[in-house]
Amino acid sequence: MKWIGLIAVVLTGALLLSAVGDFPDFGDPKSPANGGVGDFSVSQYYITHTEQDTKVPNVVTAVLADYRGYDTMFETTVIFIAGIGIIAILRSHPPGGRRGPAHPIDATVDGDHQRIIIGITCRIMIPIIQIFALYVVAHGHHSPGGGFQGGVMLGASFILIGLSRDLQAALARFSERRFIVLACLGVAIYAGFGLLCLLLERNFLDYGVLDGFFHTDPVMARSHGIFAVEVGVAFTVTAIMFAIYANLSSKGRLDEGL
Amino acid sequence: MILDLVSMLLIAAGLLFFVGAAVGLVRFPDFYTRMHAAGKGDTLSSLLVISGFALHEFKDFEGMDFILALKLLAICVFIMMTSPTSTHALIDAGYEDGIEPVIAPDAENVLGDPTSRQP
Repeated sequence: MKWIGLIAVVLTGALLLSAVGDFPDFGDPKSPANGGVGDFSVSQYYITHTEQDTKVPNVVTAVLADYRGYDTMFETTVIFIAGIGIIAILRSHPPGGRRGPAHPIDATVDGDHQRIIIGITCRIMIPIIQIFALYVVAHGHHSPGGGFQGGVMLGASFILIGLSRDLQAALARFSERRFIVLACLGVAIYAGFGLLCLLLERNFLDYGVLDGFFHTDPVMARSHGIFAVEVGVAFTVTAIMFAIYANLSSKGRLDEGL
Repeated sequence: MILDLVSMLLIAAGLLFFVGAAVGLVRFPDFYTRMHAAGKGDTLSSLLVISGFALHEFKDFEGMDFILALKLLAICVFIMMTSPTSTHALIDAGYEDGIEPVIAPDAENVLGDPTSRQP
């Protein structure tokens, strides 16, 4: 079995390495990404047309979620698969069906006087972190940010609960069922908006056709479509970040954590 | 003009404390004293440098510069809250882990036996 895997890895690696030779030279002004041939420069097109195509000031967000929406959709799927893989490998239910920690954990901050400074600081900071994470998701059109960054921050806020108190306190807010459902929902939102465009007889992820759905003109509909898929990305990234932490820190038992 | 001068002074003082923190981090003998240098020096110097930036951006108290200065001051508040807490958490973890402090040869270890303290 290992040999089959090794052969597959070596073959894929050789294929990828052989494709490197076909890349344009580094810094080549004639390469498709830099200058292109004639008027077909990709980067020039993005820089000059993003504003009128999508009404999104942030070119990076527009390229990521609209022009190259397929790429981002499968990036999200890669994160989803990585998280599901970690859950599938690590998650184990202890024999005897014991649920929860062996000894009851006092969930109040004041009950554990050694941690009161950390507990109070985290209690103040976590809501601010979460609001800022939502702002990063929603403001990805106008400033650096978007689904991946905001999702990571939102997931990190739940990890902070797990670190500053214990894993049970974090799981009480973001249970296993919830993060698995949320991870699936994120990918479903992204692919669902793509399919919705397909149902309305346009290309997959061509948000311009959703103007009736969003009650705007086709250009603004692309902007709203980008926001919709960013929310999907944020859902998946949040859930998978926390799922990876919860499973790794408790050796897959989801009981006591660190 | 005066605002610029004050901001320059603040940034220079912050850099001085940064040097102190860096020297302390390298030169101090054990975990606790090193964290003391890194935690205190880093917090104060970051605060001084960033508030110097904020003062520099205040200018005429209007427009985007003013908003930028307010954002910098918000960063100051967050550093003031999080940096000492993380230092505290690290030292607490080191103490629970039983790291021995370096003390004078004839002094008594007032921290007691670190391994006796369980979380």
